[in-house]
Amino acid sequence: MPQPVDIVGLLESGLRAEETRQRTIASNIANLETPGYRRLDVRFEELLAKALRSRHATGAGEVEPEVFEPEGSPVKANGNNVNLEMEIGAMLKNASRQTAFLRLLHKRFAQIENAITIRK
Amino acid sequence: MTVHNVFGPVDIAVSGMRAQGRHMEVISSNIANARTADAGQGQPYRRLEAVLRAQAEGISPVVVEEVLPDQSPFESIYDPGNPLADTTGYVAMPNVHLPMEMMNLALASRSYQANAAILKRYQKMVETTLELLR
Repeated sequence: MPQPVDIVGLLESGLRAEETRQRTIASNIANLETPGYRRLDVRFEELLAKALRSRHATGAGEVEPEVFEPEGSPVKANGNNVNLEMEIGAMLKNASRQTAFLRLLHKRFAQIENAITIRK
Repeated sequence: MTVHNVFGPVDIAVSGMRAQGRHMEVISSNIANARTADAGQGQPYRRLEAVLRAQAEGISPVVVEEVLPDQSPFESIYDPGNPLADTTGYVAMPNVHLPMEMMNLALASRSYQANAAILKRYQKMVETTLELLR
């Protein structure tokens, strides 16, 4: 039977993944012209999906993001495979997701506070 | 069941920008080499053309499928003093026509701008959606 979902843990681990991803995007853009540099990305969503489907005790909040070098980007003559437009697209998605996670976390905490506060 | 990634438009717009960026590389190569009479093997520079292709059926990103040489014939200029001239005094020149390249450059840069506009507008849409969470 699947684990009950730890909402705050899920949101926080998603946020950690987006922060890691933001670092990789910054590294990629900084190394736009560095010879031999290969772009970095973060593996997280598949790991999370696996953790959610599994029956083990691994909570979704414990899934750690992994930095890796993805294949598939064309490599320029100097061995560099970073493309500015692609990093900008990644940056936009990353910013939107980060905002979504933060606001959802905020809403969740507000819900919890609502539930535990006794109002006269 | 087809799942539509909620950030799909970003990937598609980025693919448009990358493809037009590549297209501009091809155009700039053509323009820079418009007068290159010797591009190796005794031939002048041959004009290149970027072939764009949709990556999938239906809603899909674009990709530069390949960069093909333009098979139209080279220009011939009468210049007997030129070391590259043949026995009749003619020199073969690249089959590049600057007005056409400039027109393609304008088209490529408009297309790039349109894709960037999609990125910007879509980002505004997502921000509006996220405002609902405030």
